[in-house]
Amino acid sequence: MSSSGTETSDVAEADDRERSTPLLELEDVHTYYGESHILQGVNLSVEEGEIVALIGRNGVGKTTTLRSILQLTPPREGTVRFSGEDVTGESTHEVADEGIGWVPEERRMFGYLTVEENVRVSVGPDQEYEALRDYVFELFPDLERFRDKEARNLSGGQQQMLAIARGMVGDNDLLLVDEPSEGLAPMIVDQVVDALREASAETTMVLVEQNFPLAMDLADRFYLLDHGTVVESGSTEGVTADDERIRRYLSA
Amino acid sequence: MTGVVAALATLVPALVPAALVQDAPLAIDAIGRLLQPGTLARIVIEGLGKAAIYFIIAVGLTLVFGLMGVLNFAHGAFAMLGAYLGGVLLVLAVSSGTGPITRVAFFVVVVAVVFALMTAFGSVLEVGLVRPIYDRTPMYQILLTFGVGLILEEGARIVTSVRGLQPEPSWTAAASTIPAPLESFHSILGANIRGFYLFAAIAGVAVAVSVWLFLNRTLYGLYIRAGSEDPEMVEALGIDVRKAFTIVFGLGTGLAAVGGVFLTWDPTWGASVLLNIDVLLYAFVVVVIGGLGSFKGTLAAAVIVGIADSLTTWLFNTGIVPFPGLPEVTVFALLVIALIVRPQGLYGVEEVGGH
Repeated sequence: MSSSGTETSDVAEADDRERSTPLLELEDVHTYYGESHILQGVNLSVEEGEIVALIGRNGVGKTTTLRSILQLTPPREGTVRFSGEDVTGESTHEVADEGIGWVPEERRMFGYLTVEENVRVSVGPDQEYEALRDYVFELFPDLERFRDKEARNLSGGQQQMLAIARGMVGDNDLLLVDEPSEGLAPMIVDQVVDALREASAETTMVLVEQNFPLAMDLADRFYLLDHGTVVESGSTEGVTADDERIRRYLSA
Repeated sequence: MTGVVAALATLVPALVPAALVQDAPLAIDAIGRLLQPGTLARIVIEGLGKAAIYFIIAVGLTLVFGLMGVLNFAHGAFAMLGAYLGGVLLVLAVSSGTGPITRVAFFVVVVAVVFALMTAFGSVLEVGLVRPIYDRTPMYQILLTFGVGLILEEGARIVTSVRGLQPEPSWTAAASTIPAPLESFHSILGANIRGFYLFAAIAGVAVAVSVWLFLNRTLYGLYIRAGSEDPEMVEALGIDVRKAFTIVFGLGTGLAAVGGVFLTWDPTWGASVLLNIDVLLYAFVVVVIGGLGSFKGTLAAAVIVGIADSLTTWLFNTGIVPFPGLPEVTVFALLVIALIVRPQGLYGVEEVGGH
């Protein structure tokens, strides 16, 4: 999805630049809801092509981190950089336009719009709408079958597919995915995981997920949050919930 | 339900026509006259004409509420400004020698000019005054818009008194620009119908179709419908939802003003500073009965209110119910009934406006 820009200069220099500029970088981000200090200095970075999981108990600031990246709840302190550019304080639609998609908690379908209209809203005015629509309809045949149905009539799993499809057609370099498996039957979760893998072939992904084994299975790296800060991070390789450094923060 | 009607009947005896209760032969006579095809056709067509104007005015109110969750109490003042602005332009354009077709053509041009000016005015108001308080409680929005309405009303009163336009009860110069064929009665379907109501009904259909096409057949309309459900999600999809707010508020203002221009030719209204509150009340009745935020509901409710209005006006004009307030009382009784039986309105959703 992104241009690597290696066609002119030498490859080594381009590689070097990619390594030095993460796709997404949060530096000492502090975010409040009114007087409640939710994020208390979050630092994290995401490289292009990665799937990064944000894990931690309820209420530690995972969703708030995603909202801070999109400037839906703008940080009061700290910096959010996307593709090397400081986006802190920009409007949400500008940040989204630069290539960040959001698959929010509870899907947030436009229930009174049809499935196809939900897809249409997500495609920018300068994009090839029909090609993108056909692409997601091919990925998710259920969506094509119910394209003229109002989205509120879809099942939970179908709504999740639509939410992911909506994130995929927006020509995004980064997808913020919040609790995709929440409230879904195990069989449906498998389909959602497949959809996420499909999406991750196209974009970098930050994934908030309560289901720990699922998060470890999907993601390359993880950040563990507690009380609004990152307390652990690293590769997901071989990490299990029994890990002492994880268990301490995840068990109730 | 019957209890409510009985209670209303005690409070307002004229609501349930006394003749119907006490004087059976007279009641039968009244029903007989009502059921004559000519009478029914007249009541329906005049009702549709009234409905058209109520719809043109109320549709902006309902779209603004649906998208932004703002109850705009300045909406009646926009119709009043439209009535004066349109009235002044018509008086300037039309002379006694102007023929009927030219008058109608002038009217169409005036409608376009008023719509453009008032859409711009509404957009400026939205950016300057309404935008800063979206995140506050509804009380702020009600106080602000009500205040704007009062300022516009007093402003209009000052200007019209200085200019000697006779602000109250209504300014007749604008009403007299109506071409003779619209003022007179025509025999259609065996009924005597005032030309103006047919004209208004056609205009109402044109406006309803245009608004429907805008909402359902354009990309921007899609953004607006999505924004009515969840503006934050629309914003997160890369769409500047604030711009949609400005456009909808502007268009709503423009449409209210266009409704005002029609009122200058309506024999029961006319341009007056009192339109601020009078029109606001009718518009609220229509959007509440239809369901706040619903386009379809506003259309259906406008037809119900328009026909109720024309039926009760006929009952009074024929002397069957000798109570001049009957049309108004009926319209508000409809509101009361709607609030009791179906508080969310005909097509309302329990919760509209994402914030």
